[in-house]
Amino acid sequence: MSASKATQSAGATPLLQMQGVTKRYGLTTVLDDVSISINRGEVIGLLGDNGAGKSTLVKIMSGVVPMTSGRYLWAGDELGKVTRPETERRGLETIFQDSALVPTMSITRNIFAGREVTNRFGFMKLKEMDSITTRILDTVVSIEGIRSAKQLVSSLSGGQAQAVAIARAVHFKRSLLILDEPTSALAVRATDALLNYLVALKAEGISSVLVTHNLHHAFQVCDRHIVLNHGRTILDVNREDTTVAELTAAVVGGADGVARYRKQLGVA
Amino acid sequence: MTTEQPQSSSATTTTVLDMDERTSIRRSLADNVPTSGSGRLRENFRYMRGRGAVEISLIYLAMIVAFVAMYFRDSKGFPFLAPSNTSGVLSQSIPVLAVLAIGAGILMIAGEFDLSVGASLGLSAIIFIKVANSHSWPVAFVVAVLCAMGIALLNGVIVIVTGIPSFIATLGMSLFWVGASMWINGKNPARLDKLQNKTFINVVAGDHGRFRSQLIWMVGIGVIMWFVLHRHKWGNHIYAVGGNQAAATAVSIRPRLVKLATFAAFGALTGVAAVLVVGRTGNMQPGTTGDYTLFAIAAAVVGGCSLTGGRGTVFGMIVGAAFIRTVEDALILGKADDFYPRLFVGLTIVVAAVVNKFMEGRAK
Repeated sequence: MSASKATQSAGATPLLQMQGVTKRYGLTTVLDDVSISINRGEVIGLLGDNGAGKSTLVKIMSGVVPMTSGRYLWAGDELGKVTRPETERRGLETIFQDSALVPTMSITRNIFAGREVTNRFGFMKLKEMDSITTRILDTVVSIEGIRSAKQLVSSLSGGQAQAVAIARAVHFKRSLLILDEPTSALAVRATDALLNYLVALKAEGISSVLVTHNLHHAFQVCDRHIVLNHGRTILDVNREDTTVAELTAAVVGGADGVARYRKQLGVA
Repeated sequence: MTTEQPQSSSATTTTVLDMDERTSIRRSLADNVPTSGSGRLRENFRYMRGRGAVEISLIYLAMIVAFVAMYFRDSKGFPFLAPSNTSGVLSQSIPVLAVLAIGAGILMIAGEFDLSVGASLGLSAIIFIKVANSHSWPVAFVVAVLCAMGIALLNGVIVIVTGIPSFIATLGMSLFWVGASMWINGKNPARLDKLQNKTFINVVAGDHGRFRSQLIWMVGIGVIMWFVLHRHKWGNHIYAVGGNQAAATAVSIRPRLVKLATFAAFGALTGVAAVLVVGRTGNMQPGTTGDYTLFAIAAAVVGGCSLTGGRGTVFGMIVGAAFIRTVEDALILGKADDFYPRLFVGLTIVVAAVVNKFMEGRAK
């Protein structure tokens, strides 16, 4: 399994390294000694069946949930305590499934939530925020069917909302974008557009982690695939070194599945 | 090991992504931005609709027109615009409820609510009277506001630390503070020494002919809270926390802190309302302010706040309060029996909540 080592030596220091991450809830071990590293401008597919620990890993990565033990290094610096404000400051943005945006707020207010453009006294410069929003929606992502930056997010479709969330990440020059099941609620065209954005982000040097059930979507855009099974990493391979069939075997059958699959190949 | 796999299958599944997908002609958002004054007005109106305040304001306006017409037909039988009504009743009853509704409303936007408004108002009013009689009214004002803030913050801490629903926490605390106000004051009403506190009554309830000072207080507080909620970043955080707590956390807004601050602001407004009540009545009997709780929440709901959080406007809350108090007043002027106001207000709340629910889906 030289794949992950090869990618590590290819670039300089990885953007994010997590080493030996373990998470326990009471007696249940959700993540067991998981190590991953993400390079700059890399698109990673984080795969696994329900309950494999994907969501927990994403939450730990973004600092929403603390880990039980393990190391977390951002661009080589070890973070003592991984909190959301800390990861946010470093440039990590997570787009959680169905909860990336606040439905009862306008697009502008969503894009600037927590990072408002204000005067000295904390009052928002709404006009300026509206015109920035209009500009980034016109240039960063092309979204059909949005009329105005003042529209409520609840009036957008799932695809439009995801695109707004991505536009926000790009505008604020995030360096690592984590998308938790972004395609699960999208139509075919919207999915296609979303996957295209990820490739475009890569060109800007933004890394992304695509958490998904859909191996075909992942295979289309990801440079590297990490498969989790029962809280362990069972596969960490570059796209060139694997196939959808092998990833499927890993997700469905775990480590045994991969072994069986390789054996079959060897036999064939 | 992985290199042993056939390369052919990966080559076929790797599609070349067409990044120049923007072939269809689409208007950019920048083209949609209105350039004329009337265009801007129309745009603003479109995005105000469905958020509660516009709809209730129109209904309220229609109602006022009807009452004024009735007044001009028979000014003796229905003295709606007579100073005795506008100054003596409306401009005193609306502000108290409006200030309470703004407090309850911002708390609802943050996704919490507080059933101890009435109890807290009663206790703060009693404390105000006691301190005003023994010291001076400005000191009493500060003490009363701090008292109500303390009560609200305690509720906030209980709700946030333990995670129990605010409904049950504040219901319990409500009974506790009613008991506390009886313990502090006894069962007889606390009376303000009116001679000693003449200035206070002038400041809070001075008669200006057609209206009283409370109205100025309401407008002032309304403007301040409008700026805080709709123009300050803190207001944006309140909406974010109430609308989707997970999304707010993801952008580093701290929900617990925002909620606690909102509880504090709510408490301060309750304290001010308590002072306004004393300015009007000059006394306070423990245990008689329970009605304020439900009326405040009702006014916020009528004004477009959603019980599930994230929705509501300061303007709507004020109009909601004005609506309830005006209907009550008109029923009394029309010599309806005193159970009618309750019947009507009760129905209004249910209808408003239903209308709000339907409106939510249509907001643009």
